[in-house]
Amino acid sequence: MSVFTRNDKPETNPGAAPTPPQPPVQQGRPQATAQPLSPAPQPQAASHGAISVSVISKALKITGQLESTEDIQIEGEVDGDVHAASVKVGANAKVKGTVYGDIVELAGSIDGRIEARKVVLTSTAHMAGDVIHQDITIQSGAYIDGHCKPEFGKTGSKSASKPASASASTTSYSGSSLGTDKANGSAARA
Amino acid sequence: MVASPRRTLVKPPSEKDLADLPTSHLGRKLTVKGVLDTDGEIHVHGIVFGRINADRLVVGKAGYVEGDIVARDVHIEGRLSGRVFAFNVTLDASADVTGRVFHHTVTIAKGARFDGRMPWRPVNYFETFDQPPETQP
Repeated sequence: MSVFTRNDKPETNPGAAPTPPQPPVQQGRPQATAQPLSPAPQPQAASHGAISVSVISKALKITGQLESTEDIQIEGEVDGDVHAASVKVGANAKVKGTVYGDIVELAGSIDGRIEARKVVLTSTAHMAGDVIHQDITIQSGAYIDGHCKPEFGKTGSKSASKPASASASTTSYSGSSLGTDKANGSAARA
Repeated sequence: MVASPRRTLVKPPSEKDLADLPTSHLGRKLTVKGVLDTDGEIHVHGIVFGRINADRLVVGKAGYVEGDIVARDVHIEGRLSGRVFAFNVTLDASADVTGRVFHHTVTIAKGARFDGRMPWRPVNYFETFDQPPETQP
């Protein structure tokens, strides 16, 4: 009996609720002081999902180069090259330059070039320039002035696209001087 | 950059204008090299090298901006290196700013890092502000 009673007492003690809540109560005080700071991270964390997609709104004009490993949605104006996993160019958007991507969906206007695995030209698309693709969809009403070449991902086009991207980077924002400097440096070394 | 006369950096856009000025989001994986120009709001969570002209700019926690910023309202939670010309400036607790912040009103949260100068400017400086002066850092 005495053995059972001894066992009962330890069982009731850990089972009793009052002991575990004590540390939370003690922790509650520093948490309470930290609370004014904590609301800022919470909306930040909540908005992280929306952050992954970049939106260039119709009011924004970008002069220069955009590079992303995620999606870009362009509704405004971009004067420069765009590199992204997926690029959507909205109906009233304008891009002047090359658009590189896995998927490029065009509803607006591009003056330049598209290099993408999958290209979709919707009915409102206005494409002035070549399209390098593997898979292309052209809806009725789309305007194209340029060549469509199914050469994306091919070995020949890869070597061809490298100089293209290199020249693109030299023409981009503040890249020209760097490019020529490098070229001069390499020439001097040679 | 904009041919049309810019709105002053003092008054917020009217609600009618705001409808035409949706917010732009630059995601965390996005790097922009160049000039960003808008009369609306920009949220930067990625990296920007270059100049930003906006009504309101938010640099998120993961954001980094290197260059000049001209805006009415600037809210910084991330990193910034360069000059800021803004009527209202807020540095969040997580902000890390290096450079010069020209402002009329400023809020700095406890914990923010700031290395540089914070010159105050009167209202008419921002009312007549056109382009940032060319100065050596």
